[in-house]
Amino acid sequence: MTEPQILLEGFLQALAAGLLVGAIYGLMCVGLAMIFGIMRVINFAQGDFMMLGMYVAFFILVGLGVNNLFGATIGPYVAILLAAPVLLLFGYLIHRLLISRVTGARTAGLEGEGHYAQLILTLGIALVLQNGSQVLFGSQLVSIRTPLSSAAWEIGPFWGDFVSVFINKGRGLAALFSVLAILGLWLVITRSRLGRSLRAAADNPEASTYMGIDVDRAYRIAFAIGTCITALAGGLLATNYPFHPFVGLEFVIIMYAGVVLGGMGSILGAFWGGMTIGLVQQLSTLVLPTQLQNTAIFVCFLLIVILRPQGFFGRVVERT
Amino acid sequence: MLNVENLRAGYSSVPVLHDVSIEVGAGEFVSIVGPNGAGKTTLFKTLSGTVPAMSGSIRFAGHDLVAVPPHRRPHLGIAHVPEGRQVFPSLSVLENLEMGAYTEAGRRSWKENLKRIYSWLPVLAERAAQPAGTLSGGEQQMVAIGRGLASAPKLLMLDEPSMGLAPTVADFIFDRLMDIRRDAGLTILLVEQRVAEALQFADHGYVLETGRVVLAGDSRKLSADDRVRQAYLGM
Repeated sequence: MTEPQILLEGFLQALAAGLLVGAIYGLMCVGLAMIFGIMRVINFAQGDFMMLGMYVAFFILVGLGVNNLFGATIGPYVAILLAAPVLLLFGYLIHRLLISRVTGARTAGLEGEGHYAQLILTLGIALVLQNGSQVLFGSQLVSIRTPLSSAAWEIGPFWGDFVSVFINKGRGLAALFSVLAILGLWLVITRSRLGRSLRAAADNPEASTYMGIDVDRAYRIAFAIGTCITALAGGLLATNYPFHPFVGLEFVIIMYAGVVLGGMGSILGAFWGGMTIGLVQQLSTLVLPTQLQNTAIFVCFLLIVILRPQGFFGRVVERT
Repeated sequence: MLNVENLRAGYSSVPVLHDVSIEVGAGEFVSIVGPNGAGKTTLFKTLSGTVPAMSGSIRFAGHDLVAVPPHRRPHLGIAHVPEGRQVFPSLSVLENLEMGAYTEAGRRSWKENLKRIYSWLPVLAERAAQPAGTLSGGEQQMVAIGRGLASAPKLLMLDEPSMGLAPTVADFIFDRLMDIRRDAGLTILLVEQRVAEALQFADHGYVLETGRVVLAGDSRKLSADDRVRQAYLGM
């Protein structure tokens, strides 16, 4: 193997890893984009909702016997899929009980649109979820492993049988499911009556009421969908990533960065924001020590925000 | 069609409207005029439910509106074109109109309604794909009116459609409103500070001052009334 071949293989491998992890980050960011980007509700508990999605999928897998029923290969994906509606309901209820007091028609006219109260409330929820989970689930690492996580597809070899790229099957499938979930959500948001009513309620709650939209319900639905999507991303991530009750902290920052990078209010933008973060994170390991990969993300984030403050897909449109 | 009796309403226990009674019959064009701060917009918001009624009654097409939650009222046939236009800035013009058609009636007649809205306000067809927030004030007002019409309403409530617009643009909008009324036979309730136009087009009118109806009657009589002429028409 010659020097350029080694470099090329390293680059392609990092690129593939970046695309795969980026797709999952993208899905995570899309979940937050529903809540923060579109409905403009600050939610610092988003990472902990993801953590909850991981644990719910884990317990459905091992506790409800999904593992035995569907086998070790398909079982984890069934469990992740089943965890999604649980978190949808969780998001719906937590909005109904707590978040609705600081969002929607009630705060539309207030200074800062209720953001201060949202900040404090969701930070509180985050702390309760983190510490509560530690009490309930313990702090040892667990994961939703499938045999696919330790199997790979090989692309190549090419360039004289020396260069080939390995795609982890578990990550590959997780990325594929992420992209499908995002496409589904994007269709709902842009094409359906429900999606239009959510965007309208976010744009102008008062005028939405004049259209006959129940604004509080619209906020609740968006919050539930956002929670569910991020939890789904968490479950998919957990097939390759051992987790613990404080895992949310590592990702909530990535989610906010992704949403802002993509442009507030844009679902596809949030996906590309997350994808960018995944790529930067993995490609930076080629030239920087691994410990600096998150530093690379934020240097890149700052550069993009300086050069293009509205994000990739953000439109400069005044909100009423 | 709309019958408001002894309405008292306002913000957090401070009443803005005192004992307001108005009546709008089916097919009528009724104008409410008055100075800034008279409570005209508050009256509209109370009819739509975004400001709560403290006492009095609002009846619309056989329904007791006070008992209907705000977001259900449009489905009964009330379209509120709010003050300051309030379009959905990030939605396209067409999506804004589609939001107007959120009501059952609006959905049922969406296709022919859209055709009629485009024929009255052709600029909306030209701008259909553009985000409404990027339009000029006059165009946004047309979006707001089109959005109201898209709900296939029984009653169209217009809150100062001329606000912040150049006089020629405002004239254009009034002309279109007269076309719409003639073609669609719509019942219209208008709030305006441009008193001369508002009374010229209306069947009858009300003058609202500091939350009370101080004059009411046939719009020609109102235009001829000395108090109205002195206070509002500058004669």
